Amino acid sequence: MGIGNQPISVAAAWVPALVAGTLLLLGAVDLAAGDGPCVIDDKEREVCLSRPAERIIALSPGVTELLFAAGAGDRIIGAVRYSDYPEAANELPRVGNHTRVDMETVLAMDPNLIVAWVSGNAPEQIDRLEQLGLTVYYSEVRNFDDVARSIRRFGTLAGTGAKAEQAAADFSADLDRLNQTYGDRDPVRLFYQVWDDPLMTVNDTHLISQIIELCGGHNVFGALDRMVPRLDRESVLAARPEAIAAGGMGEEDESWLEPWKQFDQLPATARGNLFFVPPSTIQRPTPRVIEGAEILCEHLETARGRR
Amino acid sequence: MAGAEQPLPAGAAAGRVAPGLARVWPPLLTLAALSVLSVLLALSIGSVHVPLSGLLALFGSSADPLYYALVIELRLPRALAAFGTGGLLAVAGALMQVLLRNPLADPYVLGLSGGAAVGALGAMLLGLGALVVSGSAFVGALLSTVLVFGLAHGTGSWTPTRLLLTGVVVAAGWGAVITFMLVIGPTERLPGMLYWLMGDLAYARSAWPSLTMLAVACIVLAPLGRSLNVLARGPLQAATLGVSVRPLEWTVFLAASLLTSVAVITAGTIGFVGLVVPHMLRLVFGADQRLILPASALAGGSLLVLADIGARTLMAPEQLPVGVITALLGVPTFLYLLYRSR
Repeated sequence: MGIGNQPISVAAAWVPALVAGTLLLLGAVDLAAGDGPCVIDDKEREVCLSRPAERIIALSPGVTELLFAAGAGDRIIGAVRYSDYPEAANELPRVGNHTRVDMETVLAMDPNLIVAWVSGNAPEQIDRLEQLGLTVYYSEVRNFDDVARSIRRFGTLAGTGAKAEQAAADFSADLDRLNQTYGDRDPVRLFYQVWDDPLMTVNDTHLISQIIELCGGHNVFGALDRMVPRLDRESVLAARPEAIAAGGMGEEDESWLEPWKQFDQLPATARGNLFFVPPSTIQRPTPRVIEGAEILCEHLETARGRR
Repeated sequence: MAGAEQPLPAGAAAGRVAPGLARVWPPLLTLAALSVLSVLLALSIGSVHVPLSGLLALFGSSADPLYYALVIELRLPRALAAFGTGGLLAVAGALMQVLLRNPLADPYVLGLSGGAAVGALGAMLLGLGALVVSGSAFVGALLSTVLVFGLAHGTGSWTPTRLLLTGVVVAAGWGAVITFMLVIGPTERLPGMLYWLMGDLAYARSAWPSLTMLAVACIVLAPLGRSLNVLARGPLQAATLGVSVRPLEWTVFLAASLLTSVAVITAGTIGFVGLVVPHMLRLVFGADQRLILPASALAGGSLLVLADIGARTLMAPEQLPVGVITALLGVPTFLYLLYRSR
C-alpha cells in the first residue's frame, strides 16, 4: 500500500527551488536522493519526501509546537491530546493521545508525513504506520541544539525553510544573549522541583538543568543517575539549596512552594528565594523555553542580590 | 441451558459428565456462529466509518485503497489476534480451574503473567523494540513456569495446594519487581508500560501465533476431555478410575502455561477473560470438559473481539486498553447468569 505517498496536486514552483537553496546553504541535504526534500531524523535515518510535506500529523504536543515554529503550522492536519500551543493548535483535529494513537483516523487523514516521538509513542504503532506505507520522521528533542536542528529540518520537509531558518537563528541568538548575560555570574545553588507528590527533580541531562546552567545556576541534584529522580524532603534540606524553583498544577499555581516555608534553616527559605516558574514555559523542548529561561534567569539574579 | 441437567456451581469440585458426545455439537455450533459474527462486526465497525458498499467492494476488484487498508490491514489482523488471544486465555483458565480445583484460578494465578510482565517491562525500560518486548515476555513466562514447576515439584509430597501456594508466592515476588520497575521507569515510558499490564491489542503484530496455538490446543486437548472430567472429581477418584493423575496434572499445567504465554506475548496481560469465561460456560452448559474446553476457545475469542471493538471506538480517537472493556461486558453477563442459576 502506498496511500500515504500520493502526489500532491498543489506544488508552487518556487517552493522546491527555495528549499533546495536553503538546504544547499545548510549542507543538510542529499540532492542525489530525489527531487523532494530529504533530512536525517533523530534516529539517524534518512527521511525523504517526493514533494514538500503538506499533510502532517504530529504525534506529540512538543512536535506540534516545533512545527508551528518552523512555519509549518498550517500544514498540520492532525495532532494528539494536550497539543495546546500556539492557540491555533487547540483547533487541530485529534488522532488520540501520544501513548495510543487511533490508527484508523491517522490512515483516513491521508497524511504524507508523520512526525513521531521516539520515547513517547508506542513503537509497535509507529512500525505499523510505516508498514502501511506512511513516511515517518522520528523526533527526540533533548537539548537546545536539538530544538534548533529540528526546526530547520521541519522547515526543510515542509518547504518553509526560510521561515524555519529565521526561527532557529532567533532561538540560538536568544540563547546566546541569555548565556552572555548570566552564564558567567556567580553560581546559585538551585533545587528545581518538577513534581510535588512524589517530590521530583531533574538531573543534568534534562533540558531544565541545561536552562539552569545557562542562567548561571547550579542544579544541586544534577549529578544523580536518573533523569527525573524521586526525592524525599530530607535530601533537599541536606542539599541546602540557595533557591528553590517549582512549577505547579497550573500556570499560576504556587502551592508547591508552600511546604518549604516552614523550614527556616534552609537558605532558600531564610532569604525568601522560593520562586515560581510557569510549567508550560520550561517543560517542553521548544522555542518557548526562552520564556522560561528568562524568568528563571531573573529569579536567580534576584537570589544573587539577596546574599 | 442444558435441558434437564442442573447447572453446577462455578468451579465445583465434582465435574458432571454428560452422557453422550452428540450433545456437544449444538452449543459449539452456536458459539462458532457467534464467533464468526463477532469477527464480521469487528471488520465493519471502527473509528472511521466505512459504508456497507465500501465493505462489499472489498470482495470485488474495485476496492477503495483506504477502505482496504482500514479493513484488511488494520481491523482484520487485530480482530483475529483478539480472537486467538481471548480463546487461549479462556482455555488456559478452564484448565487451571480443573487442575487446581479452585474457582478463583485463572491463567495468571501461578505467576506466569508476572514473569512475562517483568520480561516485557524490562525490555521497555531499556527502550528496546516491540519484537524484543514480546520475546523477553515469553522468556519471562517460561522462566516463571519452570521456577514454579521446579519449586512445587521439590521434595516431599506434591499436591495442587502446594502448586497453588508456590505459584501465588512467586506471583507476589514478580509483583514486587513490577512495582519497582514502574517506580524507577522514566515518566514518558510509564503509560506504555501500564497499557501492557492492562492488556491492549495495539501490541498484536500478527494473529498467526495465537490462532495456530489455539487450533493446536483444541486438537491436542480434545482426547483429554474425559480424563479431565474424572480429574475434576478429585485425584483419588481419578486414580481409582485408572487415570495416571500426576502425569496428567503436569501436562495440564504445562499446556495452560504455554497457552497463556502465547496470549500474553500477543497483547499483554489481559485480565478477566480467563477467569470468567469458563465459569459462564459451566453455568450454561454444565461441567463436561469435552464441551467446556472448545466452547471456551470460541466464547473467549468472541468476548475479546467484541471488547476490542469497544476499546477502539468508545472514546475514539482516544484508545482504551481492552482489559477495561472485557470486564465491563463480562461482569454484568456473569452476574446475571449466576443470579439466574439459583
